[in-house]
Amino acid sequence: MNKYMDRNRSLGEFVHGEDDDIIICRCEEITKGEIRRAVHEGMMTMTEVKRYLRAGMGLCQGNTCGKLIKGIIARELEISASQIEECTARGPARPVEINVLGNEVESNE
Amino acid sequence: MMKRYDLIVIGAGPAGLSAAIQAAKNGVKVAVFDENKSPGGQLFKQIHKFFGSKEHKAKVRGFRIGQELLKEAEQTGVMVHLNAIVMGLYNNKEIMVNENDQTNHYKADSIIIATGARENMIPFEGWTLPGVMGAGAAQTMMNLHGVKPGSKVLMVGSGNVGLVVSYQLLQAGVEVVAIIDAAPRVGGYGVHASKVTRTGVPLYLSHTIVKAEGTETVSGAVIAQVNSSFQKIEGTEKHLDVDTICIAVGLSPMSKLLKMAGCKMEEAAGDIPGVDENNQTSLEGVFIAGDVAKIEEASSAMITGRISGISAGRYLGYIDDEVAGNDISKLKNSLAQLHKGMFSPENKGRIDIEETDEGYKTSESLLKKGYIDDNEILSFPGVPKKKVVGIHPVIECVQNIPCNPCQDACKNGCIKVGEIITKLPAVDPDMNCIGCGLCVALCPGQAIFLVDDDYSDDYATVTLPYEFLPYPKAGTKGIALSREGKRVCEAEVLYCRTNTAMDHTALLTIKVPKEMSMKARFFTAKEAL
Ligand SMILES: Cc1cc2nc3c(=O)[nH]c(=O)nc-3n(C[C@H](O)[C@H](O)[C@H](O)COP(=O)(O)OP(=O)(O)OC[C@H]3O[C@@H](n4cnc5c(N)ncnc54)[C@H](O)[C@@H]3O)c2cc1C
Repeated sequence: MNKYMDRNRSLGEFVHGEDDDIIICRCEEITKGEIRRAVHEGMMTMTEVKRYLRAGMGLCQGNTCGKLIKGIIARELEISASQIEECTARGPARPVEINVLGNEVESNE
Repeated sequence: MMKRYDLIVIGAGPAGLSAAIQAAKNGVKVAVFDENKSPGGQLFKQIHKFFGSKEHKAKVRGFRIGQELLKEAEQTGVMVHLNAIVMGLYNNKEIMVNENDQTNHYKADSIIIATGARENMIPFEGWTLPGVMGAGAAQTMMNLHGVKPGSKVLMVGSGNVGLVVSYQLLQAGVEVVAIIDAAPRVGGYGVHASKVTRTGVPLYLSHTIVKAEGTETVSGAVIAQVNSSFQKIEGTEKHLDVDTICIAVGLSPMSKLLKMAGCKMEEAAGDIPGVDENNQTSLEGVFIAGDVAKIEEASSAMITGRISGISAGRYLGYIDDEVAGNDISKLKNSLAQLHKGMFSPENKGRIDIEETDEGYKTSESLLKKGYIDDNEILSFPGVPKKKVVGIHPVIECVQNIPCNPCQDACKNGCIKVGEIITKLPAVDPDMNCIGCGLCVALCPGQAIFLVDDDYSDDYATVTLPYEFLPYPKAGTKGIALSREGKRVCEAEVLYCRTNTAMDHTALLTIKVPKEMSMKARFFTAKEAL
C-alpha cells in the first residue's frame, strides 16, 4: 500500500509547533495547529480536513488557503504535495446568495 | 428553451477575448462570460509596455492592447456578458451563471475556459491584518480604481509581478521600502529589477518575511535572512517601517470549473488541466487558453486564446481542417518565439546559466544585486567598448529575453537584434545616431540610455527614460543616481522631451560631469541641495 493511503501508519506524537497559531483559512479562522492536529486525528485528505474543520469552506471557497492546506497535510504525512488530491469540485464555484440560487430561470427567452 | 450559443467562452481576459474574436471571425456564434463589470481580465491593470516583437504587440501598454481587443470583439459580433459569475460547468457543456441576482443556464456545442489564475499566498504571523495583500490586488487598487494601497510598501517576491508592481507603486507616489525574496537570485527579468533598483529601492535576497506588526492594521514588518534550505537564520531579524505588505509569490491556475466538468488534470492531484496539441481537454469540444492552461504572460495568453478559438471553430465545423492546421502552426511559431531564451519554459528556475546564447558571460551582479556592476557593463554588445564621438545609445540589456522594439525604433540601423528576438541587442560601433531617443522611449525594459561625452569640456549628457509625474523642468537641479540607486553626482535637467510615439515615456536629458556618463542612470530632484 502506498504511504499516503496507509491509515494505520503512526505519525508519531503531535508536537506543538511555534507557528501553530497562524491562521491559515482566513474565512473560517482555522489555524495551522488545528489542521496539523486534524491530520494526526486521521484526516488525511483535503476533503476530510475541510469537512472536519470547515477549512476552505468559507467565502473564498479555499481560493486562498487551498494550496497552503495541501502543503501542511503533505508535510505532516511526509509525502509530496502533488500526491494530495484537491477537494471535489462542485458548483457553485463561487459563493452565491441562496436567493440567487433559488431564483433559477428555467427558460432563457 | 435554454439559451444556446455555438461557443461559450468563460473569462474575458486576453486569452478569452482573443479566442472569442478568432472564432467569431470565422462565423461562430460566440458569447463570453466574465464576472467583472468590465472586460479585459488583467490587461487593464497593466500600464507598462509589453515585451516581444511587433506581432506580439511589443512596446504597447497592456491596457491599450485591452482596448484594441474590446473593439475587435465588438466588430466581430462577440456577445459579452458582464457581471456574470459562472458558478458551474457540466459535462453536457452547460453553464450555470449568477447574473442580475438570477441563476441562468446556457448551453453551447463547444466551451473555451479562460478563467486565468489566482495569486498564491504565504502565511506568516499577522498576515491576516488589513494592509497585507496580493501584489495583483495592489495593482488593481492603483491602476483600476485610482486608490493608493498604502504609503510605505514591502514587496515580498522578486519575480516579474513583484518587480513590475513595485515600479508602478513608485509611479503612484508610494514609497517601496524594500523588495525581498527567499531565493538568492532575482526571479524576474533583470531589466525590471534594474529599473527599480536605480531609483534607490533596496533588494534583500535570501530574506523572508517573519511577521507583520500591528494591531488594527499593518504598522511594520520584520524580515530575516534565510539559509540555503530557506530556514530563517536567528538573529538576522530586521524591522521595516511599512504600512502595506504586498505578496507576489506566484500564481496558480483557476481550474475548478474544469474539474467540475470532469476534465482530466495533467497530474491526477494537480490543478493543471491536461490538453492535446490543439488545447482540447480530455472532454471533446472543451478547450482551454491562457493562464488557466499554463501560467505565462498576456502575450502568450493571446496566442493560446487564438489557437483555442480556431480549434473550437474547427470542432464546430466552421473552419476546415487544412486552414485550421495552417493557422495553428503559424500561431505556434509565434508562441515559440516567446518561449526562447533565459526565461523559456525549459530554463525556468535554472540558476546555472553562465553564458548568454551568444556566448557572453552572464552578469552575476544583475541577479544577485538587481543591477549590472560597473565592471561588467562594458562586456555586453549594446555598450560601446571604445569612445564614440557624439551622442549614442548605450543598451544595458544583457539577458536573452524575447523582445526587439529597439531594433525597429532606430531608423538609422544603429541597433541590431536580428531574426531571433531573444538575441541581445548590439550597437553598431560606426553608428550614425541622431539622438532621436526613440529607442530609449520604446524599450519596454527601460534599459537604453543616450550618452554624449562631447557635450562640453567638462560635462557629458545622459538621456534616460522617465515615467514619473510631474516631469522635472529644464534647469531643475538634483542628484544623479547610479544603477545601484546610490547618489553619484549633482546633475541638472537640460530638457525633458515627450511625444505621441513615445507614449508617456519621457526622455529626460541631464548634464553630469564627464566621468559620470557611464554611471548616472537616474535623476532625482527630491534630494537637491
Ligand atoms: C501583476 C501582474 C503583472 C503582469 N505583467 C505582465 C506583463 O507585463 N506582460 C505580460 O505579457 N503579462 C503580464 N502578466 C500576466 C498576464 O496578466 C496574464 O498572463 C494574462 O492576463 C492571462 O490572461 P487570461 O486571459 O488567461 O487570464 P485573466 O487576464 O486573468 O482573465 C481571466 C478572466 O476570467 C474571469 N473569470 C475567472 N473565473 C470566472 C468565473 N467563474 N466566472 C466568470 N468569470 C471568471 C476573471 O475574473 C478574469 O476577468 C501579469 C500578471 C500579473 C498578475
